[in-house]
Amino acid sequence: MGIILELKDLTKAYDTYAVVDHLNLQVNEGELRCLIGPNGAGKTTTMDLITGRQKTTGGQVIFDGRNITGLKEHMIVRRGIGRKFQVPAVFKDLTVRENLEVAFNRNPDPFANMLMMFRRTDKARFDEIVDLIGLGERLGERAGYLSHGETQWLEIGMVLTQNPRLLLMDEPTAGMTEQETHKTSQIFNRLRGSHTLVVVEHDMTFVREIADVISVLHMGKLLAQGTMAEVENDPKVREVYLGAEGISDAT
Amino acid sequence: MNRTGGNLYHNSTAQWLAYIALFGLLAIIPVVGAEPFQLRTFAGYAVFAMLAVSVSMVWGFGGILSLGQGIPYGLAAYCMGATMQMQFQTPDEPIPSFMLTNELEELPGVWKPFWHTHIGLILALGVPTLIMTVFGILMFQARLAGAFVAIMTLAMLNAFYSMAQDLQPFTAGFNGISPPNAFKAFGVEVDPYSPMMYWLALGVLAVVTFASKYMLQSKFGTIVQASRDDAERVRFLGYSVAYYQVVVFVFGGLIASLAGIVWVMIQQYVSPTALETPFSIYMVVWAAVGGRHSLFGAIVAAIVLNYLQTELADISETWQKAWLLILGGIFVAVVLLLPRGLAGAFEYLIGWIPFGGRSAKPAARPEAG
Repeated sequence: MGIILELKDLTKAYDTYAVVDHLNLQVNEGELRCLIGPNGAGKTTTMDLITGRQKTTGGQVIFDGRNITGLKEHMIVRRGIGRKFQVPAVFKDLTVRENLEVAFNRNPDPFANMLMMFRRTDKARFDEIVDLIGLGERLGERAGYLSHGETQWLEIGMVLTQNPRLLLMDEPTAGMTEQETHKTSQIFNRLRGSHTLVVVEHDMTFVREIADVISVLHMGKLLAQGTMAEVENDPKVREVYLGAEGISDAT
Repeated sequence: MNRTGGNLYHNSTAQWLAYIALFGLLAIIPVVGAEPFQLRTFAGYAVFAMLAVSVSMVWGFGGILSLGQGIPYGLAAYCMGATMQMQFQTPDEPIPSFMLTNELEELPGVWKPFWHTHIGLILALGVPTLIMTVFGILMFQARLAGAFVAIMTLAMLNAFYSMAQDLQPFTAGFNGISPPNAFKAFGVEVDPYSPMMYWLALGVLAVVTFASKYMLQSKFGTIVQASRDDAERVRFLGYSVAYYQVVVFVFGGLIASLAGIVWVMIQQYVSPTALETPFSIYMVVWAAVGGRHSLFGAIVAAIVLNYLQTELADISETWQKAWLLILGGIFVAVVLLLPRGLAGAFEYLIGWIPFGGRSAKPAARPEAG
C-alpha cells in the first residue's frame, strides 16, 4: 500500500496570516483517514487546496506520485479525486436518478454528450451505488424534496459514481440524526479498503466508529497523528480541545 | 422514454406530440386562407418565436441571463441585408446607392464577399458564431454569472448598436439597408408575402425547436441544467462548466442568427433597431411569460404577445402606445403570480389528470416542456 496523497509544505496565506501553514501530510492507499481539529484549524481549506478550489500560496500537492498543484478543479477530479461538500450540493431541480446520471462522467466532452440519450450507462455500478446509499425508492423524486440525510447520501453516491481513487468528505454527517449518522458510518465501513477516504469530521462518536488514522490540525499545522487512543491521550491535543477535558467531550 | 414518472406534462412522448401538433396547426394557416399581408406578419411571429427559443435555451436551461441575444440576431441580419443588397447590384453598378451618397467611390472590402450569395449566408451564420464564441469564452472562463453576464451582454449589444449607427458608409446608419428585391437562391425567389416564405420561417422554427428539444433530452442537456443549479458541483464531477456554458451560449446565438436571416428575408430591411436594447429585453420577456423552462411556452408566448401587439395597434394609436404598459403589466403579473410562466401554470393544471397509474399530484419540475 503506497502513498496516494502527499502534501508537502502546503501553505495558504492571506496577507501575512497563514490559514494552512507548511502542512505536511501523507495518506496511504486504501486507508480511511479522519481530519479533525478546532474551528479555523484549516481543514476545509486543506480540502480546497487539494481539489484546486483555492490557489495555494506555497507547497505542493502530490497525488499518485504526480504534482497536481495549480490544476483546474475538473482536471483534478479527472485524475481521480472526488469531493463531497460541507453544505450538501446536489441538483435540486433534477431527479435523484438524473443527479446520479450526471455524476456518471465517462466522457466530459459536451458534443459527445449531445449524442448520448443516456439511460443506464453502467447498470451494475448504478444499482450498486443506489443500494449502498439506500435511495432505490426515491429515484424519480426531485432532489430538492429529499430530507437532509438523504441529500447527503445522494451527494456521497454522486461522488462514488465517479469511482474516484481518493474521496474527500467534508463533514458528511453534519446535521444528521443519530440513526442517519449510524447509517453513514455503515456506508463508510463498506467503502473501506476499496477506496481511500479522507474525512473531515467534528462528531467524535462517528470518528471513533470509522477512523483508521486520525490527523489533528491546529492553526494550519499538523498537531498530532495516530490512532484514536494515541490522539486522545496526546497532551497537546487535550490542550487545544477545550483545555484539559480532552477530545472525547468535544463535538 | 418517460424517465421521471410524474404527470403527463413530463411524458416525453406527449411532449413531442404536443410540438408536432403545434407546428401542424401553424402550418395549415396558409391553406385555410390568410391574406398575403397577414402571412408576412405571421412569418414574422415565427422569427420572434425563434428568438424566444434562443433565450429559453440560454437563460431558462443554461442559467445564463443574456440581454444580448440581439447581437447574433443583428449581425446575421446585417450580413443577410448585405447579401440581398449585392444580389441587386451588377458589375456595372457595383456600389449600393447609400454608399454613393456617403461618397464612397468603390465597394469596401468587407462588402465584397457578399457578391456571392452562398458566402454571404455562411458569413451570416459564421460571423455571429465566431463573435459569440470569443465573447462566451472570455465571460465563462472568468466564471462570470448572473447580473454580471447580463451587464456584459447588454454593454456588448450597445457597442454593436453604436457601430451600426456610426459606420454610416458601410451600414447606411440609422436608415438601414433596404434591398430592393426579394431573396433569391438556387433559382428560386422567395416572395415575402408568399406561403413559401411563411413555411420557410415556420420550418426553420421547427428545426431549431426540435434540435433544442433533442439537446435538452441528451446528457448534454442534463449537464447544462445541472450547471444552472450548482456550477461548482458540476465542476467537481469533472466537467468543464465554462465549456458547456460556451456551447449552450453559442447554440442560442446560432438560433438567433437564423432568426436574423429569416427576418431580413421577410422584411427586406435591416437597421440598427435590430440591435436596440429594448428588443433584446422583449425576447427575455416573451420567454419569461411563456415559462423559460419550456420551449413550447416560449414559442406560444412570443406568438401570442406579438399577435396582441399587432391587433391592438390596429385598433388605434392610443392602444399602440399603451402596448408597452400592457406588456410590462403582463410581465410583472407573471413574475409575481406565475414565476414559472404560463407553461408552469399548465404543468400544474395538467397534473390533476390521472396518468401512468397514479393520479399524480402536481409536482413542479422545471425540466421538460
